[in-house]
Amino acid sequence: MRLELRGITKSFGSLVANHNVSLTVEPGEIHCLLGENGAGKSTLMNVLYGMLTPDSGEILIDGEPVTIRDPKDAVARGIGMVHQHFMLIPVFSVTENVILGDEPVRPWPFVDYRKAVTMITELSQRYNFDVDPHATIENLPIGTQQRVEILKALSHHADLLVLDEPTAVLTPQEADALIMILRSLKEMGKSIIFITHKLREVLEIADVITVLRLGEVVGSTTPAETNEEDLATMMVGRSVNLVVDKKPAAPGDVVLEVRDLLVEEDRGLTAVKSVSFDVHAGEILAIAGVQGNGQTELVEALTGLRGVTSGSVILKGYDGNLAGAAVRDILHAGIGHVPEDRQRHGLVLSLPVEDNLVLDQLSDPRYHGRFGRKLRAIRENARTQITDFDIRTQGPELEAGSLSGGNQQKVVIARELSRELRVLICSQPTRGLDVGSIEYMHRQIVANRDANVAVIIVSSELDEVLALGDRIAVMYDGKIQGIVPPTTSREDIGLMMAGAGNAATSEEQA
Amino acid sequence: MSTSVEIVTLENLRAVSRGRARAYGITTAIFGILEIVWMGQTHPGLNTTIEFGANSSTSMPELSGAWRVIVLAAALLLAGISAIATTQGRRFALPRSGTLAVRIIAIALALWPISLWLHVNVDGILRSWTVPVHVVGLVIGVLSLLAGGYLAWKRYDRGASATLYAALIAFLLTFLVWVARGSDVSGLHLQLTSLLALSVSAATCLMFGSLSGTICERSGVVNIAIEGQFMVGAMSAVMFASAFNGAGISKTFAVLLGGVFGALMGSLLAVMALRYKADQVIVGVVIVAFCSAITQFLSSQVLNFHQNLNQSEPLPVWAVPGLSKIPVLGPVLFDQNVLVFVAVLMVVAVNILLYRTRWGLRVRSVGEKPIASETVGVSVSRMRYGAVILGGFIAGIGGAAFTVGPGSSFSYGMTNGYGYIALAIMIFGRWRPYGALAASLLFGFTIAMSANLNIYLSQLVIPQQFISALPYIITIAAVAGLVGRIRPPAADGIPFSRE
Repeated sequence: MRLELRGITKSFGSLVANHNVSLTVEPGEIHCLLGENGAGKSTLMNVLYGMLTPDSGEILIDGEPVTIRDPKDAVARGIGMVHQHFMLIPVFSVTENVILGDEPVRPWPFVDYRKAVTMITELSQRYNFDVDPHATIENLPIGTQQRVEILKALSHHADLLVLDEPTAVLTPQEADALIMILRSLKEMGKSIIFITHKLREVLEIADVITVLRLGEVVGSTTPAETNEEDLATMMVGRSVNLVVDKKPAAPGDVVLEVRDLLVEEDRGLTAVKSVSFDVHAGEILAIAGVQGNGQTELVEALTGLRGVTSGSVILKGYDGNLAGAAVRDILHAGIGHVPEDRQRHGLVLSLPVEDNLVLDQLSDPRYHGRFGRKLRAIRENARTQITDFDIRTQGPELEAGSLSGGNQQKVVIARELSRELRVLICSQPTRGLDVGSIEYMHRQIVANRDANVAVIIVSSELDEVLALGDRIAVMYDGKIQGIVPPTTSREDIGLMMAGAGNAATSEEQA
Repeated sequence: MSTSVEIVTLENLRAVSRGRARAYGITTAIFGILEIVWMGQTHPGLNTTIEFGANSSTSMPELSGAWRVIVLAAALLLAGISAIATTQGRRFALPRSGTLAVRIIAIALALWPISLWLHVNVDGILRSWTVPVHVVGLVIGVLSLLAGGYLAWKRYDRGASATLYAALIAFLLTFLVWVARGSDVSGLHLQLTSLLALSVSAATCLMFGSLSGTICERSGVVNIAIEGQFMVGAMSAVMFASAFNGAGISKTFAVLLGGVFGALMGSLLAVMALRYKADQVIVGVVIVAFCSAITQFLSSQVLNFHQNLNQSEPLPVWAVPGLSKIPVLGPVLFDQNVLVFVAVLMVVAVNILLYRTRWGLRVRSVGEKPIASETVGVSVSRMRYGAVILGGFIAGIGGAAFTVGPGSSFSYGMTNGYGYIALAIMIFGRWRPYGALAASLLFGFTIAMSANLNIYLSQLVIPQQFISALPYIITIAAVAGLVGRIRPPAADGIPFSRE
């Protein structure tokens, strides 16, 4: 299919998400759409998929102008979408998920499941997908779920596949398998739009690269004509430093000692299975792993947000076991926490920035006197923090929810750093941030390390882990597969993320 | 914001539910031990009478020798078929319900000639059985101990909650007997057949109610207004039937009218919840309050002065030819009010609707993850409107089962909170129609039991309210999660919007 977008403009209120965007996808082409978060990639694709109506501009399929009112229209025109958060129903079988919306019915109103299973088996064989039509989605690995999502699009006779950040949730090995699949689809003449902000992938698979910035097309190029630095410059609009500047670590004494920690998740299954590690002052321990392997529960246990089944967390200089202690005690002991989901756990979005900046110190005598809150001190504190951390806001009295993602994250880190910290735990510190904010967060994290704070970062971005970590712990299925130096190859870490034990390269426990 | 991608394996989940099964088994076994201890010290003067076939209408026809052989052969044949169907069912894609029905009928048919041969049948009326109470108590105790021990050992997930529930009822009964020891009580008179028959008829409105809840919540809308739909259904049906003096087909229309009024309340809920995205629980409670007020108003201002508008004759009792003559099972299952059969057929129909049809697949999908349905062109609100209105219709018919079913007149408060019990039953039945059927029967049994025991209890110092509260106590236990691994539809109660 040949797809042409001409002059698409879409604005939400005063925010222009897409301005006069034009691009052409040829049949059998892998077209990468590159841009920072908020550059308008998703808006553009939602316009294409009929979830949003453009203010102006037109869509041409094989030279003919078409209007796409809703997803049904898009599907009928042969456009298939693989969303970043899979549009699969976890408790349904593969078959039920694939046929939903376009069920073979015979006789009316009964679904012809036998025919559906045959259809899926055939499709799955033709594209070499190896998917069991009877399996329940929630029991399948993420990579397979993604294949089901692609299968769903193909079963609707899609000629153009749109993949939105498809590698974000995959291990490097699964990502490679996906790229193989996309190449074979391309050979069968399908067109593919691949949305991402990962430069490495783009250069690997793209035929054509289109870069979006602030809702506008900055330029189009091919992998042969460009490199990572140029792409990053196009994406951000200035030259960026892709490597994190940091001196070699000078680790001091052990500050945090975690021993045999056992944590359950909400349904009562063990999510963290007897995890032990040490963190030294002045080093960054990076915890890598595919999401959902117990990292979230580990961090919640360390910060007191989740109960601990057994095990101990010893902070040097603090008397007693921090495992299962009250959040207040943990904060007072000197542990700072930048949570994974800043909007739900890091901030109260409906409160003003100034209150969010003292959220953990509401009863501190500095901000709370005998007769109530000391509003002037709170305002004063906010002014200082806003300048120190370069928080871009119209004023301290504005709602935190009105800030951009990067500035929200700055509020969180400013608050955490306003206490005397011994340990700083950052969970997914740069998720959803633009390149500028990522640089800023990285600098803050390294600065804290250099100030002799023990830093733990949890990230599912392998690049970030490799760039920041002084030691890298890889989690899989609730256990630490091994702790390795950052010089370890991506492939080896990838294997560990997929569960292969890697005792050989594991560093000796200090 | 956060992508919650979880790696859940079947093994993990099974481990959790097996742990729970063990806990249930141990509890059941402890009940058994307590029962044995209590019964060891029971006053020996008490007797339990268990009557089979207490309905004198169930007198059995004499069968000639040849017929007995034929019936027994038929029973054996059915038993064989059910065995084959159980083992080979998967290959022939037989529905499990069909297999189950065949098996029940086979057992019943086999019992018939056997009971005749055993000379249980004296003068056409089944003999009643009198046993000392402590023997019954001890037997129940030993059975609980064995069942509990076995469950704790094997750790079955399925049936664990049902076992615990049965053990709980037995436990409460033996507790009552134990309390009665030494007092001047004539004995516990259990008319088994009539007790079971009463259970089934008491379960009828619960079946309709819990089916309504199941359909609505499968689509992602909490229908807490079932109680209100019961009320309007009950009142409109009885008024319509009385207006036509209960003549002929008018009763059928009366039942349907009850359904229509229930559907009306359902559509009110749907509009508030789907169009205006109001909180579903609050809207539901408000609808119950509205229905309660309007039925109270009408019954005090209209029905009070026009008694002729509030009397209907019961719907016919239909005895299935042949099957209704089976001992115990016959009067319980096959000699009932027409609405009972309608309720059971409704369960089967809803199950087929939800799991076999396109509509059902789509309804279940919008209850789990509406955004996924929307991206493949399934309209979330259309599916939810349909489900909620259909649910209201079924609940309205359930309301009619209060009045025109047994032929009672409408009185304010007669729904007795059963609409809320129906919601507990829906949870107990794990949001599945057959689960709702089984749980309705269990709750029906509890209700029948409390009705039956009131006579016995009135001789005791214990207030009878204690046993009347039993269904509600068990409701609380069910809602508190005493029912094994339960997983509500993921989008249950969450309004959907595209953004």
